[in-house]
Amino acid sequence: MRTHNTYKQAKRALVGLGVAVSLTVGAASAQAQEILLTGPLAGARAVRKLKLYRQGRFEIAPSASFTLLDEYQRTIFLGARLNYNVADWLALGVWGATGSVIQGPTHLSKQIQDVNSQRSTLPPDSLQRRLVANNLGPNFEDQIAGVDWVASPQLTAVPFRGKLALFQGIVLDSDLYLFGGPAFVGLKEREDCESGCNNSFNMTSRMAIAPTFGLGFSFYVNDWSGVGFEWRGMPYSWNTGGFDVAGGGPKGETPDNKVNADDRQFKFNQMLSVSYNIYLPTLPLISE
Amino acid sequence: MQKTYIGLLGAALLCALPTTSWAQGKAAAETNEKTPAAAETPTDGDGAEATADAPSESTGAEGAEDSLGDICKIDPEACPNLDFDKEAKRPLVEEVYAVQQRFVVKKGRFEVNPYWGLTLNDQFVGHPGPGLGLNYYVSEALAIGVNGNYYEPLNIDSKFNAQVRRAARVAVPLTEYQWSGALNFSYVPAQGKFAGFQDFIFHYDAYVVGGVGAISTRPIPIIDPDNRNFKFSTKLAFNAGIGLRIYLSRWFAAVLEVRDYTFNDQLENLEVASTPEAQRDESTWLGDKSLTWNVQAQAGVSFFLPPTFEYQLPK
Repeated sequence: MRTHNTYKQAKRALVGLGVAVSLTVGAASAQAQEILLTGPLAGARAVRKLKLYRQGRFEIAPSASFTLLDEYQRTIFLGARLNYNVADWLALGVWGATGSVIQGPTHLSKQIQDVNSQRSTLPPDSLQRRLVANNLGPNFEDQIAGVDWVASPQLTAVPFRGKLALFQGIVLDSDLYLFGGPAFVGLKEREDCESGCNNSFNMTSRMAIAPTFGLGFSFYVNDWSGVGFEWRGMPYSWNTGGFDVAGGGPKGETPDNKVNADDRQFKFNQMLSVSYNIYLPTLPLISE
Repeated sequence: MQKTYIGLLGAALLCALPTTSWAQGKAAAETNEKTPAAAETPTDGDGAEATADAPSESTGAEGAEDSLGDICKIDPEACPNLDFDKEAKRPLVEEVYAVQQRFVVKKGRFEVNPYWGLTLNDQFVGHPGPGLGLNYYVSEALAIGVNGNYYEPLNIDSKFNAQVRRAARVAVPLTEYQWSGALNFSYVPAQGKFAGFQDFIFHYDAYVVGGVGAISTRPIPIIDPDNRNFKFSTKLAFNAGIGLRIYLSRWFAAVLEVRDYTFNDQLENLEVASTPEAQRDESTWLGDKSLTWNVQAQAGVSFFLPPTFEYQLPK
């Protein structure tokens, strides 16, 4: 009987030991999850085996850019972006575009020209014509300023890289980038005049230098191409309507019968771009 | 001595089985949890032998059939009548979603979305103002909700208007807004995630929204400000937009949205009546109607309520 009890006690001890060991093993498993945060994986990259769509590759991206909040003229820029990606997160490049191909007047410009046309039937010395003589030529749409071209060397930083699922079926790799640099803007504006501005409505060209910056999304269609969407700001001063609006008065805020640099108004020019991005060489690197 | 070996084997089994259960489904875990209990069942003093025999009796198809047989004896109606060979040959159509285990489950939750709106396409009058959206997600992809904007004290008549009036002697009818409200439906077709600086990951989704409601507007008197003083009136307004929601936690997100509010606006009459009496007559103040597209950028945050959730679906 004693032997039997001893055996039972030993068996219970073994079972207890087994339970204790299994609890310990279980606890060890739970701790292993903690180690993920502080162990060998601590500080590891968020993503492994990542396709490096940019690193060491050239990017050629034909683009169309649509201007926003236009006062007198809308422009669609046709151009391209050329980048060399020194790393997956950094690119050096240039964006260039021409705006002289596709331009169109806004509704306001048409309204002004409608009134201008009606006024032109009045005698030249009528009050209505004399009041606008310095500001409106025979055809208002001919004196509206426009952007002929833009060239901008720029740095592009790509801090965010990810993926997008559409309708839970299509998955696209994507990245979000920021860019900035100086922009050289070829403008066509009404020519300056110091006197006799009522007879001077010729246009002239000048180059403005402005900062440009923005952000964009790239969606990679395959290993060597993608679609891009971009917003760009490009603030500078220009005389969009060719009007004499400033330069006179104590604060220079009233007309002075001259058309010159005083009449250039600061505008936060903005545009949205769509591009098709081609990457060369065609095969991307893969990260560790 | 043999019993000692068998006892140690039982202890090792005790150690191994719970560990195995971590990697298995719930049903398997329950099965394994029962195994140690079975090892304790013998009480006749010869438990070791009984334990050694138990696995051979309870594993394999025969054991399963025995279990089913027990069920069939207890409740014949619950007795499974399946041809397992036939079932095994059925084509397995497993649906795999692009994003499994969503970071945020939205179904059945409310979204409270305060935001600030800015005009994107009106170079004459800016309409900034606060807004509030409230959505209820009937599914992960579809929400029904309302939103409202308040504009009245914040309309900005830009300097550009005065310059055009002075330079070209052309007056452009201007409108200021008071408020708007709408009933909306939102659909979330796209979701994704970004790794930031190869260091942290955040999730986002993109949505489209559309709805119908009302907007209260009135003309800003430009043509004859001495006589005209307009009152706000309400118009039917439709809206459509797209948005991006970036999740900073499972209940808090940053939201960027571009929405177009379209309505038939009532403009100021560009003609001024010839007599003072007629000029003061309100019926002469209003002119043409114009379909207006007020494109608005909205930046804000979203709070999801309740703030916690449980996965109820396999995805």
